[in-house]
Amino acid sequence: MTAPAIRARNLRKNYGDVQALDGLDLTVERGEFFGLLGPNGAGKTTFINTLVGLVHKDGGDAEVFGFDVEADYREARDRIGLAPQEFNVDRFFPIIEVLEHKAGYHGIGSKEARRRAEDALKTVGIWDKRDTRFDWLSGGMKRRFVLARALVSNPDLLILDEPTAGVDVQLRHDLWDIINRMNDAGTTILLTTHYIEEAERLCDRVAIMDSGSKVEVAAPDDLMARGTDTIDLGLADPPRTAPRLDVDGVTDVTVTDDGLSVTAAGGSQTAPELVRVLERQGHHVTSLDIRRASLEEVFVDLTRDDREYAEVSA
Amino acid sequence: MSHDTDVGTNGEGSPTTDSRDGAPTGLRARLVGLWTLLHREILRYVRRPRNTFLPPMITNVLYFTVFGVVLGERISGNDPNAFGGAGYILFILPGLVVLGMISNAFENASFSIFHGRWNEYIHEVLTSPLSHTEMVLAYVAASSLRGIVVGAIIWGVGLVFTPVTVANPFYLAAFMLVIPTLFAAFGVIGGLWARDFDYLTVMNQFIIRPLVFFGAVFYPLSALSGIWRQVTLLNPMVYMVNGVRYGVIPEAVAVPPNRSLLVLTGLTVAVVALDVELVRRGYGLVD
Repeated sequence: MTAPAIRARNLRKNYGDVQALDGLDLTVERGEFFGLLGPNGAGKTTFINTLVGLVHKDGGDAEVFGFDVEADYREARDRIGLAPQEFNVDRFFPIIEVLEHKAGYHGIGSKEARRRAEDALKTVGIWDKRDTRFDWLSGGMKRRFVLARALVSNPDLLILDEPTAGVDVQLRHDLWDIINRMNDAGTTILLTTHYIEEAERLCDRVAIMDSGSKVEVAAPDDLMARGTDTIDLGLADPPRTAPRLDVDGVTDVTVTDDGLSVTAAGGSQTAPELVRVLERQGHHVTSLDIRRASLEEVFVDLTRDDREYAEVSA
Repeated sequence: MSHDTDVGTNGEGSPTTDSRDGAPTGLRARLVGLWTLLHREILRYVRRPRNTFLPPMITNVLYFTVFGVVLGERISGNDPNAFGGAGYILFILPGLVVLGMISNAFENASFSIFHGRWNEYIHEVLTSPLSHTEMVLAYVAASSLRGIVVGAIIWGVGLVFTPVTVANPFYLAAFMLVIPTLFAAFGVIGGLWARDFDYLTVMNQFIIRPLVFFGAVFYPLSALSGIWRQVTLLNPMVYMVNGVRYGVIPEAVAVPPNRSLLVLTGLTVAVVALDVELVRRGYGLVD
C-alpha cells in the first residue's frame, strides 16, 4: 500500500482563543490535483504552513508521502515545493541565484542547481530577468518567480497558496498551463484559491474548509450536482400566482414575465417530471432552460450553512 | 524531488527507505545543503565590502591615530615596562581586534536572521530539508568567518602603525577562532529574540561595546586597584582580550590563558547547542 501525498488526521492548531485548525481530517492521493476552498480564516494557510514547517501543530498528525511533517521533517520538506501567497523571497541576490540556493538546500549540486534554475525561469517565462533582484520585478513577474522557486527542486507535491491572486487573465492562464503540465507529469498539486472557477476548471477534487475543519470533499461536478439548480420554464399563458408543484426536489417556485422560475436539486432529473405536472395542470410549456448551480453557489451554501449551524449550536 | 523514483514503503504505507538520488539522507546531499546556506551567508557580506569591511577599517585607523599616535606616548610616560615592554599601540591592538571580531560576528548573525524574519525570506531556509543543526552551523560559521576577517583587517591596520611579533601562535589562532564563534552563536539568539531593528542596536551598542571597553582594552589590569580590579575580573571580555594579547605580548597579560580558552570553548559549544534547540522549537521563527 502506498502512502498518500498528504494525510492529516485530527489536526489541531490554536492561536489563543482562535481555533485555526479544529480536528481537520484530509487525504490527498498521489498525482491528484486537489483544491482547498474556504472563506478567509478557514484555516487553509495554517494547514499548508503546518505541512511545510512554518506552524507547529497543537495536536493530531500530518504526513507527506508517509513522512511525519515534524518527526521526519527533512524527508517531508524535500518532497514539497511551496508557492506561498505572500512574497517571501531573498532580496539580496539576483533571482537566478535565489533559485540556485533553493535547489542547493535540497542537496542539488551547483551545476545541476544552475541548470534547474535556468529551466525554471524559462518555464515561467522570466529568463531575461534572471540577473534582476526580486524587488525590481513587476507584480506578475513576482508571481511567476514564486512558482519557479517552487518548481526548482522538482517536487513531488506542489503547494500553491492563491497562486493567481491579483494577476491578469493572460498570466492566470499561463500559470494554469504550467501547473497542469506539472500535474500531467505526475506531480501532486494542492491548490488554495478564492477563484472558484479556477478550482472548477483545474481540480480533480476539492475540499471546502470552514472554521478550521473540512465541510465537504468531492469532485467539483459532484458538488455542483448537490447544489440547487434553476429551471426557467416559458409558459404560453403565465399564471398570476405560483402553482403548487408536487415534484421531488423542488424547493421554490416564482412567477416570471414569461412563465416560472423553479429552483430544484438535480435540475436535469427534475425537469421532465416538472413539465409533465405543468401540462397536467393545463399549462403549455413553450421553453425550458436549466441553469446548473455553480461551484461558487455550492460553496456559499455550504459555508453559510456551517456558520448558521455553528451560531445555532452556540 | 523527482517523479521517476518512489518512496519505499512497508506494508502499512509508512516510509522505510529513500532510494532517490540526491535525497537529503545522503551525506553528500546534506553537505551540499549546508554548504549552500553557508555560501549564501558569506556572499551576502563579501559582496558588500563598503558596508561590512570598510567601516571597521576606517574606525580602527582612527583608534590607532588618536589613541596610539596622539595619546600613546603620554599614556606610556617614561616607563619602558608600562605595557609589558610593548608600545601602547601594540598593547591596544589585541583589544581592538577582539572588539571588531565580536561586533561583526554578533551583528552578522543577528542581522541576517532578523532581516530574514522581518522580510520572511528565512522561510526559504525553514521550509527546506536542511536540519536544524545545519541551519545553525551555517549561520554561525559564516558570521564567525566575518569576525575573523575583520580581526585580520584590524591586525593589518595595526601593522601600519607598529611592528607585531607573534609570540604564541597557537593561543592567538585559538582565541581568534573561538571568540567570534561564540559571539556569532550569541548573534543567532539575538536575531531570534529581536522584535524590531532597535533590539539589534541595543544589544550591540549598550551591552557588547561597554563590556569590551571595560574589558582592559585600553588599560592594563595593573592600572586598576582594589574593588575596580575585582569588578573588572567579572567581565568576560577581560579574558578574551587577554587571550588574544597573550598571543603577541604575553608579558602584558595578568590572567593565564588556558582556563579562559577552556571556558570560552565550553561556552561556545553550549550556546551553539542552545541555538539548535531554539531553532528546533521554532523560537521567533514558527507560529
